Amino acid sequence: MRQRATAIAIFWAVLVAVLAFRAPAFFEFANLRDIAVVNAPALLVAIGMTLVILAGEIDVSVGSQFAVASVVAGTLAKAGVPLPLTALLTALAGACFGALNGALVSWLGVPSIVATLAAMAFCRELLRWVTQGAWVEGLPADFQWMGLSQPHGELAILLLAATIFAAFAWTLRHSQAGRAVYAVGSSRESARLAGLPVGGITLAVFILMGVLTALAGVLDSVRFSQVQSSAGAGLELKAISAVVIGGAAITGGRGTLWGTLLGASVLAVIAPALTFLGINAFWEKAIQGAIILGAIVLDRLSARRSGSGDKHAG
Amino acid sequence: MLLEAQGIAKNYGGVRALKGVSFDLRAGEVHALVGENGAGKSTLIKVLTGAVEPDAGSIFLGGERILNNSPHHSRSLGLAAVYQQPAIFPHLTVAENIALVNETGGLARKVNWAARVETARELLKAIGADIDPEREAGTLSMPEQQLVEIAKALGANVRVLILDEPTASLTELETERLFTIVARLRSQGAGIIYISHRLEELARIADRITVLRDGESITTRQATETTPQQLVSLMAGRELATLLPKVTVPLGDVVLSVQGLSSVSAGVHGVDLEVRAGEILGIAGLVGAGRTQLAETLFGITPADAGKIRVKGSEVVVRNPEDAIAAGIAYVPEDRRRHGIVGDLPVRANTTLAILPQLSSRALLDQESERELATEWVTRLGIKTDGIDAPASSLSGGNQQKVAISRWLATEPKVLILDEPTQGIDVGAKAECHRIMCDMAAKGLAIVMISSELNEILGMCDRVAVMRNGHIVATVARAEATAESLLALALGHTS
Amino acid sequence: MLVENRAGRERALLLVVALELVIFAFTGPNFLSAANGFEIVRLGVELGLLALALTPIIITGGIDLSVGSMMGLCAVVFGFLWRDLHFPLPLAALAALATGTAGGALNAALITRFSGAPLIVTLGTYSLFRGIAEGLTRGVDNFSQFPPGFLYFGQGYLGGIVPVQALVFVAFVVLYWLLLHRSVFGRAFRAIGFSAATNGDARWSGIPVNRRLALAYTLSGFTSAVASLIYVAHLGQARSDAATGYELLAITAVVLGGASISGGRGSIWGTLLGLGAIVMLQNGLRVSALPVELAGILTSAILVGTIAVGHLRRRPKEAPDTASPDTESEEDQMKNSQLAVLSSVIIAGALIVAGSNWWLVQSVRPVTPATTVAAAPAFKRHTLAVMPKAKGDPYFVSCRLGAEAAAKELGQDLIWDGPADLDPARQNEVVEAWITRGVDTIAVAVVNAPGISSVLRKARAKGIKVLTWDADALPDARDYFVNQATPQGIGETLADEANRILGGEGDFAIITGALTAANQNEWIQFIKARIAAKYPKLHLITIRPSDDDRNRAFSEAQTLMKVYPKMRLIMAISAPAVPGAAEAVKQSGRQDVKVTGLSLPNMCKPYVMAGIAESVVLWNTLDLGYLVVNASRQAADGTLKPGVTEIDGGRLGKIGIEGTQVVLGKPLIFTKANIDKYNF
Repeated sequence: MRQRATAIAIFWAVLVAVLAFRAPAFFEFANLRDIAVVNAPALLVAIGMTLVILAGEIDVSVGSQFAVASVVAGTLAKAGVPLPLTALLTALAGACFGALNGALVSWLGVPSIVATLAAMAFCRELLRWVTQGAWVEGLPADFQWMGLSQPHGELAILLLAATIFAAFAWTLRHSQAGRAVYAVGSSRESARLAGLPVGGITLAVFILMGVLTALAGVLDSVRFSQVQSSAGAGLELKAISAVVIGGAAITGGRGTLWGTLLGASVLAVIAPALTFLGINAFWEKAIQGAIILGAIVLDRLSARRSGSGDKHAG
Repeated sequence: MLLEAQGIAKNYGGVRALKGVSFDLRAGEVHALVGENGAGKSTLIKVLTGAVEPDAGSIFLGGERILNNSPHHSRSLGLAAVYQQPAIFPHLTVAENIALVNETGGLARKVNWAARVETARELLKAIGADIDPEREAGTLSMPEQQLVEIAKALGANVRVLILDEPTASLTELETERLFTIVARLRSQGAGIIYISHRLEELARIADRITVLRDGESITTRQATETTPQQLVSLMAGRELATLLPKVTVPLGDVVLSVQGLSSVSAGVHGVDLEVRAGEILGIAGLVGAGRTQLAETLFGITPADAGKIRVKGSEVVVRNPEDAIAAGIAYVPEDRRRHGIVGDLPVRANTTLAILPQLSSRALLDQESERELATEWVTRLGIKTDGIDAPASSLSGGNQQKVAISRWLATEPKVLILDEPTQGIDVGAKAECHRIMCDMAAKGLAIVMISSELNEILGMCDRVAVMRNGHIVATVARAEATAESLLALALGHTS
Repeated sequence: MLVENRAGRERALLLVVALELVIFAFTGPNFLSAANGFEIVRLGVELGLLALALTPIIITGGIDLSVGSMMGLCAVVFGFLWRDLHFPLPLAALAALATGTAGGALNAALITRFSGAPLIVTLGTYSLFRGIAEGLTRGVDNFSQFPPGFLYFGQGYLGGIVPVQALVFVAFVVLYWLLLHRSVFGRAFRAIGFSAATNGDARWSGIPVNRRLALAYTLSGFTSAVASLIYVAHLGQARSDAATGYELLAITAVVLGGASISGGRGSIWGTLLGLGAIVMLQNGLRVSALPVELAGILTSAILVGTIAVGHLRRRPKEAPDTASPDTESEEDQMKNSQLAVLSSVIIAGALIVAGSNWWLVQSVRPVTPATTVAAAPAFKRHTLAVMPKAKGDPYFVSCRLGAEAAAKELGQDLIWDGPADLDPARQNEVVEAWITRGVDTIAVAVVNAPGISSVLRKARAKGIKVLTWDADALPDARDYFVNQATPQGIGETLADEANRILGGEGDFAIITGALTAANQNEWIQFIKARIAAKYPKLHLITIRPSDDDRNRAFSEAQTLMKVYPKMRLIMAISAPAVPGAAEAVKQSGRQDVKVTGLSLPNMCKPYVMAGIAESVVLWNTLDLGYLVVNASRQAADGTLKPGVTEIDGGRLGKIGIEGTQVVLGKPLIFTKANIDKYNF
């Protein structure tokens, strides 16, 4: 974990050095703020993904969930539901969605990658069938920026995301519930024998994932005055990448939200940094892939250097 | 009466694991539970702790019936269990492992980290385990994990402590410490249910002994009134030949010779040893002394970074298990369920797994030869199975171990390394494993046996190498070895 | 037990496949013909090869997400070497195979040498391979005009009926079957997977784990490369976005076929059944003209259903004494409930299909008589099939409204179907399904001209009238092209608009859809050409992708404004990108930056009215859809035939014909003045 933080720090140092030399405008407050606002929803999803991965599961349906949540939020707002209630109802819808995934995983024992793969296709197709690709248009004027002015709306989004992040970071580290998530991810059987409600925790993690994704959908929608029904494509891979770059073990039990924040920050700056540096957008995907692979290689190298294998017994 | 179970019955599918077993435990008593594998011991304790729901029967604690039992519920009532397989959280610290089980108060509360570490430190100290509470539990060795499990169980406000084969992977010294703790708990009025295959221990520690056979309670006796031989025949339902056949065969040439073998990452330092054809070399030592690591280095799991290995005089380079197999070195690992067998594959596939290349022409598997070979080994080793197509996991522990051994004998090795070959298997199977080892030695195989059970080492081995801290500190001939001298060497108390 | 367990799942899947056959035999005309059978095989080949490649990997407890991206990379390498470096075709093909093998080896090395989790490693290479493919082609380039001898491998028939690539597939099936079920490697894969599932390690069993894993992943790379060559031959074009999203479908097929994602279990026979169930479902729905979205919905339901049942069955096993010999009888006992739940899942699935079919029939009936009464000239009732480039695209959604209006008016049966996203391979599938079904006309908005032309020629040979619209196929592959606004017209209009807004001078940037989107790239070429020719003082500073995502377009526009302060115009040429870019300009408060582009009026109305989006260019999509159906009807009736110079365009009046083009006029330009008049 510490090596990972160092590696990301080095990445940032190099990036900062290059940008400071080639495109100092990158560091203007307005730019950093814009990047933060744009990526705040993705961060919320990555927070949820961290929980899910810590608990030893995975959720590849978040992109579809995000789209459903956005459309639900837009439809409610269009129907004249006040914004706080819209957010609440959307979160509720997200919770239901998450509960469905969670129930498949914890009660029916479907491996989470399969269950959420199915959920992803199911929801995407259903949404496509129902909306036929149409956007939700004609939202009330006070929907955008939650009825605040733009600067206040942006601030509100950032504060909300920061609050949620801080709350989850604290809970994961310092509350028994947070530790229980780690415990379940570390060993389900041990957690069961320790009397932890394993099924309940797995279910809860998926529900939180659903709620966070729904909130992300709302936070994303309020930045605009229309809702795109095909939103969130590829969001699942972005969130998983952020968590993995942040140093979490894909098998569960290891990782922190701070790592995820670092991972998400790396992914968030690639595209704008490329534009600022005048590098062609064609290489963006390759760079993303290379960063993930770099993280794997780095992990292994640092493990070798410290010589701490995982062999035991004697 | 502290704990009482009445008429417990449990079926798994069509198999009746428990057929109405009744069992009781008094306060201040150690009640041992013995029986062959599959007799229903583990199921019974899982029913008691609520990890398994019984089909019939009731449990009373302090006279009150336990309803809606679950691991969580039983724990809150003061029932603590140490299972055979350590139930640890590998990614979490030792302190947290202990706290997650023992702390009460539900999920919605703040964690007091300092208190966690302090509590863990005290508990570990109480059982004399030198383990840093802030270490990640996954980096601990198997026996160290077992110690953490015991500390965990003690941490709860224990009224009933259940120990399922706690000494299986412990060394003599650690076993002694455990007995002290058990005695102390008993004097404090707790009840202890103690499951063990090491029948000699029971006379020292148990007050009463209950024998289970085929899901039924056969008898309950005072420990002072029984002998291990009686217990064995009660468990098996028949008289058995004496344990540990001690056959001496003429020794041949040196087969395995190791000089200055080191693997820094595994913690093996400058090991020299020699094994002759027909010889059984025992490796004794405390847990963590590097015995398994030495075996894994010889087998190429953790390749050596210095030293020489010679097999029948010619030097071999072992970088991975394939090299070892090619050189005629075979290794039956300690963790049978994880590494020893592949439970979901049929017996025949398990037998032939290490010799697949020999059974194939142009990469295609010769299924007929495979079946012949597997049938032959099942007969030779007396493996009890529903046939060579039955999955290995459906066999009893002892027969699984025989399958694991058959796989390595099938490679026609020159050196066979056995790591805790009889750990956790019942007496009958144990005797058969020993018989197989003797037969193989008689046929000129060089055998290295790692064991934590000094009786087994003293009974089976021609010479004993004692390890400490990754070094071999002494090699003793059987005639000169006693349990005390080996223990002293392992501890470093040289006289 | 192994055999037992597998057989259970396979029986269930066989039942699913049988049910599909029965249902589609009723709902889909000609579904049960031999020709359609072979078409299903042809459509399944690329996906099937990937599923084969994934089977051993999933059996070892691993996963390979990079197979689809690998196809893209190999296709590009192949095309690049052949066209740009003038390699002979066989050599280029060999090099593509080598690329695939090397990519697989890279996965293998990262997994075995660097102990990377397969999911993460291949997630990384999933981006990396596709990224390199995009980088090599600059996102834009694609390679076509392969010689017919090569295309034969993807488009030809042996003996007039057996698709050539089916032979390749059969060869690979045999190869993988031998590998998995008869060779020492297959045994090793299983040992590795079962050990991993119990937290063990097959190295202790004497299995050379790393070498075996390396084989599985390297072979997967090689097989993906073979699939990519077939894909290129099938579509006649090598593009960097080949086979996007195939990896998930292939994984679904393998898992549906009974492979356990945690390792150990799985068989080639099961994979084939799973593949068959998926491909047949897609084809059957198309042939039956049922909503294809059902395919995804049903597949996921069946997938979750079968697996949930499998796990319900296995669950009690965790509890007992590990030593107790209880597995056999438990198996028996659970089998009944397994079958019960399975059957109910399948029946539920069947009910959805049947129900929606019934619903569709019901919903069509009351409408049609009403319209036939209303429309005085009752034309002979034809089945007119119309395909958009992508169904979900708002632009085509509004075309559909026009098309449906026309069908109602003329009393025609309209089938509107197409790929969900821009996917040339899927377009071919849909046309094949329509040929099987036996429609009267086919009208296609072509994504990939060389790729679709051979199947369109086949349709013509069967007597089906073929039209193209929105974008043309090769001229000999269709009867008429409904030409409202050609790519050239669009590109030039956009360039003219840019010139007008910038007042003849200044910097502008383009935000496109996906970097690989063919139609956008075509427009960009014409925009560039027009500017070079007529507006030398306009300067295109950069092109950024939006992936047809409004939010992505938003942040790209934000960044562009900061990086290029002198930029005065953002031209967004994907429907969602215009509102995205306009919103960014609006939020920045910059009065000096304007937005123009190609989008739908409703989406852009607020921004046009606010003066941020100066103008939006589009052809009138309602009219376009309307005209396509009108022209189709007349082609079916034979009134649209060579020599005719104008046709009846219904409410559009008389429409002129030039050669084989039905011309609807120039693109519309929406501005503040006229945008309120349009509602789509």
